[in-house]
Amino acid sequence: MTAIREAVVLPLIFLTVTLLGGVRLGAGVALAPPSLFTLVLATMLIVALVRSGALAPDRLLHGSRPILANTNGAVVLATLFAAAAQVLGMLTPHSGLPLFFVSVFLFVLLLNTLVAQPDRVRLLRSLAVILGSALVLKFVILASLSGPSGSRTARVLVALFDAATFGTITQEPQSPGGGYLAFLATGLFLIGAAALPGARPGPFAGAVVRLNSRAEVEAAPGVQSPPA
Amino acid sequence: MREPVIRGVGLVASLGYAAVIAWLYATQPQIVAQVTGGFASMVGAYKVDPQAFDDGLRFFRGNQFVEARASLVRADPAERDPHVQFYIAYAYYREGWGRLYNDDALFGKGLAAVDKAIALAPGGRLVVDDPDLGMHSADELRAELQRGMTRDASDFNPLRVFGARK
Repeated sequence: MTAIREAVVLPLIFLTVTLLGGVRLGAGVALAPPSLFTLVLATMLIVALVRSGALAPDRLLHGSRPILANTNGAVVLATLFAAAAQVLGMLTPHSGLPLFFVSVFLFVLLLNTLVAQPDRVRLLRSLAVILGSALVLKFVILASLSGPSGSRTARVLVALFDAATFGTITQEPQSPGGGYLAFLATGLFLIGAAALPGARPGPFAGAVVRLNSRAEVEAAPGVQSPPA
Repeated sequence: MREPVIRGVGLVASLGYAAVIAWLYATQPQIVAQVTGGFASMVGAYKVDPQAFDDGLRFFRGNQFVEARASLVRADPAERDPHVQFYIAYAYYREGWGRLYNDDALFGKGLAAVDKAIALAPGGRLVVDDPDLGMHSADELRAELQRGMTRDASDFNPLRVFGARK
């Protein structure tokens, strides 16, 4: 990993996500700190990144590295944690049953990811699906149920739905800009997660690649070339 | 560029950016003027608009409290000056004060403004030497606003109608 990526690009991305992830657009602009539960989820996410090899902490913090490089690595880890907590907090609904179910949904999915121990690519795909589905749920589905509707019929249907669910589904109306901010923050976070220094391939990985090389397989003694 | 220079510059930039974000979370600015004013006051470059402040005082002394607050808000758009915030709180107090009852909504806004003034004043102590005022310190004003919002037996004292606005 280059020094520019470690010292400039990754902290810049994760700090921007930390800032955007806390923005709550309503009557005014508020910056919400992460809840205790999102800190737990962020910890689980970082552990999943480490176990899958998407993040190698020893490439950021190690005794053989200079102090300045280790400080840069510590900044990357700290900003990654803050960004993860803010993104997960931003994608979690604020109240009612959606808050409960999405919290459980994120917890179970992250726990499942931890246990399954996918490789780096699969974990990043899984992370994109988890964050993307939470984004759609909160900023598309729940927002359409909670937002002020145009037609009278739609308002009546929403009122009936709200009454049928004892008001536990609908959320406070969101500013249209909130969804765009969330999309930007989630996308930036995924780019940052993909750019993290991953685990180096083991000593046998290169050997597997060489054996799988077509030219070497064909050149190996006793191997006949496949018919054209 | 040499690697240590890149790392050093990146570290300073990251810590600076993190400090700005922490400041934004702590102060919760609502408008861009509050953000720019906050940064300007950190480096001692923030100035209240003297013309708008004079207009505000003129309206305040003429009992035109809505106009006074509009001018005072224009004088201190970033809400960084304790004196301006004190006068805004005082305008809420005078407008909300009544012989029979006080306007709790206006007193509540006054309390928020005087709290802001106290937070901005060095050491939390704010004294305004203005002979037109009945209360010269932010602590007095704050206590008066709090008393005005409290419901107790003295609210039913008929002698209350002879009380004077400070």
